[in-house]
Amino acid sequence: MRSIIERFGTAIAGLMLIAFFLVFAPNFASPTNLLNVVKDTSFLAILALGFAFALTVSELDLSIAEVASLVAVLVGWMIQSKVDPWLATGIALAAGAALGACNGFVVTVLKVPSLIATLGMAAIAKGLAFMITQGVSFVGRWPTGFTGLARGMTLGVPNLVWFLVAATLFAYIFLKWTRTGAHMIATGEADEAARLAGIATKRMKRLGLILCGLFAGIAAVLLAANLSSAAPGMAGDYFLYAIAAVLLGMTMIEPGKANVAGTVFAAFVLKVLGNGLVLMGVPYFVQDMALGVIIIGSVAFSASVVKRAAFKV
Amino acid sequence: MTASDEPIYALRAVTKNYGAVEALRGVDLTVFAGEVLAICGDNGAGKSTLIKIMSGAEEPTSGTLRLRGSDVRFRTPQDALQQGVATIYQDLALAPRLSIAANVFLGAEHLRSIGLPFLKMLDKARMAREAQGYLERLSVKITDVSRPVERLSGGQRQAVAIARALRWNADVIIMDEPTAALGVKETAQVLDLIRHLKSEGRTVILISHNMRDVVALATRIAILKGGRKVHELVNEGLRPDDVSHLIMSAPEAA
Repeated sequence: MRSIIERFGTAIAGLMLIAFFLVFAPNFASPTNLLNVVKDTSFLAILALGFAFALTVSELDLSIAEVASLVAVLVGWMIQSKVDPWLATGIALAAGAALGACNGFVVTVLKVPSLIATLGMAAIAKGLAFMITQGVSFVGRWPTGFTGLARGMTLGVPNLVWFLVAATLFAYIFLKWTRTGAHMIATGEADEAARLAGIATKRMKRLGLILCGLFAGIAAVLLAANLSSAAPGMAGDYFLYAIAAVLLGMTMIEPGKANVAGTVFAAFVLKVLGNGLVLMGVPYFVQDMALGVIIIGSVAFSASVVKRAAFKV
Repeated sequence: MTASDEPIYALRAVTKNYGAVEALRGVDLTVFAGEVLAICGDNGAGKSTLIKIMSGAEEPTSGTLRLRGSDVRFRTPQDALQQGVATIYQDLALAPRLSIAANVFLGAEHLRSIGLPFLKMLDKARMAREAQGYLERLSVKITDVSRPVERLSGGQRQAVAIARALRWNADVIIMDEPTAALGVKETAQVLDLIRHLKSEGRTVILISHNMRDVVALATRIAILKGGRKVHELVNEGLRPDDVSHLIMSAPEAA
């Protein structure tokens, strides 16, 4: 019984929250609203899965939102300049991964703690985004070949949902069922033990940060495609949400560990919370405060990995 | 033992300097197959450095290592593992929150094909089965290998660490203070494990501060002091005090 509460306590609380809004929040239960919540969850969950990859190798990536904003600006710039949408998307994802690789280099080679390294990267990415846009945002009639990535449907299901499902499955299978995933987990769990067992721990740390950058890039492309626009700082609102999703996810299913199922479900719950509060007419600032309580509460109750990653500075 | 007995592992004139500090000064050491060789000495005698060199964690400043008759050079512990030399570190080098099976197969997981050319999946069922098998071979009763190692007793953790050495099929097993952190009952368990390894014909190199363990298990004892080997004796009728006395009374190397 105790382990059921430990594993599913916050998940059950999340379900109760959803049930509460289904009953009490006007229009919450309408199919359009629910679909919007799910679509909105996809950006957040993909970004949060990136953060979870970094946390899996016991590193923090505080640059995800700024990296995502930079990638969005980059892809917007290319689309605006009539670059082929596929090529632009490919370059944007590569840029996300490359920025993650920079974080990995600074952390594993220059030996700067990730808390500091990624904070620096956040500032650099922010500056680069402003440099590219010269302070304006990219908006316009973008080709449907690009916007369709986020707004289109495939087999009657919104593409965003497909991306969410694909990202979730990839992350789950990769971490749970591949050797590289197992080595990443071992690196995050016990760096020294993993190294002595012959695991290339530094490479695993770099990989975790690269995947984080790549997922930030995916979220960014989808965000830009969905809005047909790109501006510096556009993913900024997702920063605390993404961190909260991972931390809240760590309180469920596999308590204390950044886990895929927990992260995605927590992302959904957070979006439900935001949406439900708005529909009930609760002032916007309450959301921010609730988010803060969730972040602190989640770590206080479980997330030992976060404490390790954050305080080894 | 005859002169024709080829040692399984031999060190010749091994020195190790850390800057100006000479941690080892020309140590010769011969290890014969199937024996339990104990390495004793006070703190700072050079035991840890010697272990690091034998296990591949560090390379000697000068001197040679010979394994099964040929010269070897270990750049990493992995190099040594692949040649059948496994080290069980004092702090065990286990990942506490990972399962027993994951720890036994850490860094050397079994994979299975799923019919795709580029993707192989972890064979968790096989790893669980084999981890169970290794523990049974060590006569350790652990029923559920999916349990995290942090829930095991100290003696059981040693067993998991030894099972990992078996997974590598190591025939030379170096154990650094295997009983240092254990209670009486668990110590007895670990001593049984070491006897078991010996009975399987494996070679054990045992580093220990506990002279009772040493005289109970070792076939031979090497004593280090000030980075040199000052004694090497066959363990016949030695008492713990005899060994302690030798460690204390050996002249400090100049």
